[in-house]
Amino acid sequence: MSRGVRRGTAWAVLLSLTASLLAACGSGSEAGGDLTTEQVTLRFTWWGGDDRHKRTQQVIELFQKKHPNITIKGEFKEWNGYWDSLATTMAANDAPDIIQMDELYIGSYAERGALLDLNEAGKHLDTANFDEKALATGTIGGKRYGLPVGLAMYSIIANLDLLEKYGVPVPDDTKWSWDDLKTIGDQVSKASGGTVFGVQSPGINDAAGLGIRARQQGEAMFDADAKVVLPQEIAREYWQYILDLSKSGATAPPSVTIEKASAGLNQSATATGTAAFGLWWNTQLTALTAASGARLKLMRLPGETQGKAPGAYYKPSMFWSVSARSKYPAEAAAFVSFLANDEESAKILLTERGVPANQKIRELIAGQLKETDKAAKEYLDTVPVSDPPRVTPNGASTLDTILKRHTEDVLFGRSTPDEAAASYIKEVQSEVDAAR
Amino acid sequence: MSALDELRQLRRGGAQVRSRDNRAAFWFLAPWFAGLVFITIGPVLASFGLGFTKYNLIQPPRFIGLDNFARILTDERLHNALGVTFTYVLVSVPLQLACALGVALLLDKGLRGLAFYRSAFYLPSLLGSSVAIAVLWTQVFGTEGLVNRVLGLFGVEGRGWISDPDTALSTLIVLNVWTFGSPMIIFLAGLRQIPVVYYEAAAIDGASRWARFRRITLPLLSPILFFNLVLQIIHAFQSFTQAFVVSGGTGGPSDSTMFYTLYLYQQGFSRFDMGYASALAWFLLLIIAAFTAINFWAARYWVFYDD
Repeated sequence: MSRGVRRGTAWAVLLSLTASLLAACGSGSEAGGDLTTEQVTLRFTWWGGDDRHKRTQQVIELFQKKHPNITIKGEFKEWNGYWDSLATTMAANDAPDIIQMDELYIGSYAERGALLDLNEAGKHLDTANFDEKALATGTIGGKRYGLPVGLAMYSIIANLDLLEKYGVPVPDDTKWSWDDLKTIGDQVSKASGGTVFGVQSPGINDAAGLGIRARQQGEAMFDADAKVVLPQEIAREYWQYILDLSKSGATAPPSVTIEKASAGLNQSATATGTAAFGLWWNTQLTALTAASGARLKLMRLPGETQGKAPGAYYKPSMFWSVSARSKYPAEAAAFVSFLANDEESAKILLTERGVPANQKIRELIAGQLKETDKAAKEYLDTVPVSDPPRVTPNGASTLDTILKRHTEDVLFGRSTPDEAAASYIKEVQSEVDAAR
Repeated sequence: MSALDELRQLRRGGAQVRSRDNRAAFWFLAPWFAGLVFITIGPVLASFGLGFTKYNLIQPPRFIGLDNFARILTDERLHNALGVTFTYVLVSVPLQLACALGVALLLDKGLRGLAFYRSAFYLPSLLGSSVAIAVLWTQVFGTEGLVNRVLGLFGVEGRGWISDPDTALSTLIVLNVWTFGSPMIIFLAGLRQIPVVYYEAAAIDGASRWARFRRITLPLLSPILFFNLVLQIIHAFQSFTQAFVVSGGTGGPSDSTMFYTLYLYQQGFSRFDMGYASALAWFLLLIIAAFTAINFWAARYWVFYDD
């Protein structure tokens, strides 16, 4: 073999490397332009449980049948890893095109310019059947950063099989208090002899329990200017309550509670039938019923009638957002439109992501709902609510993890409920300030 | 051809061939070199610059002077993370090296099936910092895990080792000690270098086993011990995966597994404060450099070079 041949080979290798690099930077489309006829691949990311993954995959296949030149690549994760992964891909300029977004993060991503104003792609995105109020939940400063997918409400999900087994009567949820929940929880724990607990401890995975308590007393976490206005006394009561549940044995020992918390929906105490009551979204009833195989019942939140106002509200369960850096914003918007409006896709998704915010779709699927989905819709239709809180401000996206750490400190006796309350308020405020 | 002829020919044509070879070599090195510049050195330098800015990953960075470094002094959660990391390094590295040396001494005796044992003990080192092992660890030390099952056999009541802030860090220390394979291999090689005659002479003089270990093995092995110590300390400071996986990325419970690197990661990717994260990265470099310098300084008093 001569040297010339070898050198030729080297050049060939280099050239092909360069060529493949160039090929990777193909041309893109414009948000307001026509849909491309080229072969394109869009990446779509969401969090959720097994049930959601299956349904979403079916909808993707439907869309691909109608648009043979568009391939949708699904990337799905559990909630815990989802946001780390999204932040990393965003930073690397490698964000998925279509993003399932949450109320907790939409402010922080939108204000940093990471999300597309969907109005720019309005040509491909049909929002005619959405209520203006619902659309407003995904709008910040006049720009539409997210299309609300569904509505959900906080609820208590009770395991009727467990209550029956231990001879504990199902409580009347129209007027029960937080103390009632604790009393009943204690009964279940006692009757089971330590294998099943009354309550799945709140305050581990999200700040909902705290928010609900504040709202029931006519208070809120933030005011309109993103200042933390939560009274310290409410936070103190909240952690005292969680501590009392743990001390009396109504909830599992702290280390079990914390272990379950990081394991996701399918390993939760409700899904594994190891707790009789848990705080969940009403729309998670179907997934939890499938996972637990038990008869589960949606119940109203405790303390709704004792306070000044109902703590419950309609929360956009999630949003569809498009990355501001997507190369194919028009196609991404078309897919979002399909997710939100297509009747066939609606019949697959049903209420798994919340009772649809699209009113036409909501009526369309009403007749086809399974018993659990029907219960979720009925819950939404009948339970009294108050106005929703403001969108979580930029910088406060970490408030759930801050809450979890404070709960751990309280459960393991590293700080008192009083100290936790003061520290939590201070820390959340400093996070919001730091993001400015 | 005589050697002289060969030499002459090399002198004549060699330079040309060599330069052509060098050029080809350069082209083949180019991808690696590009990687070094763009993927390693570039970002390292950029992170130095970012340490003086406020940068939220998406909008352009804004210069804020030394604010990030000033924050290092007052950040209480960081100080807790430093405490956790120091504990981890100062406890796990000596234990790990002791295990490595102990097993190396056993294996050095020339057991039958030595190759098998050597591989078996080395295996955890290959797997130790992988996600799979960290996941396995959460199962083994979980409330219904292997450890509690075994304790249950003896009537001891277990606990959630990983979900209890009093024991969570210990499980990570055990994990690090368990990966003693790579220092062990290096110790084994070092032990083979020690001339047998020393031991024979000592045995004739009636030296006990302990005296032989203390007076011959340890001094002659001290350069290897030093090498392992420096390397494993640096390695331990940079531990990340185990804590990340075991705590679900939170460093919990109660920040008890909050390694420095995990805190740094959270600042960058959960709080979107890449400026502070970059400052923290450079501060970690200083800490590791200080530890290494102390190591080298102390080495003068205990490391013995035979030659």
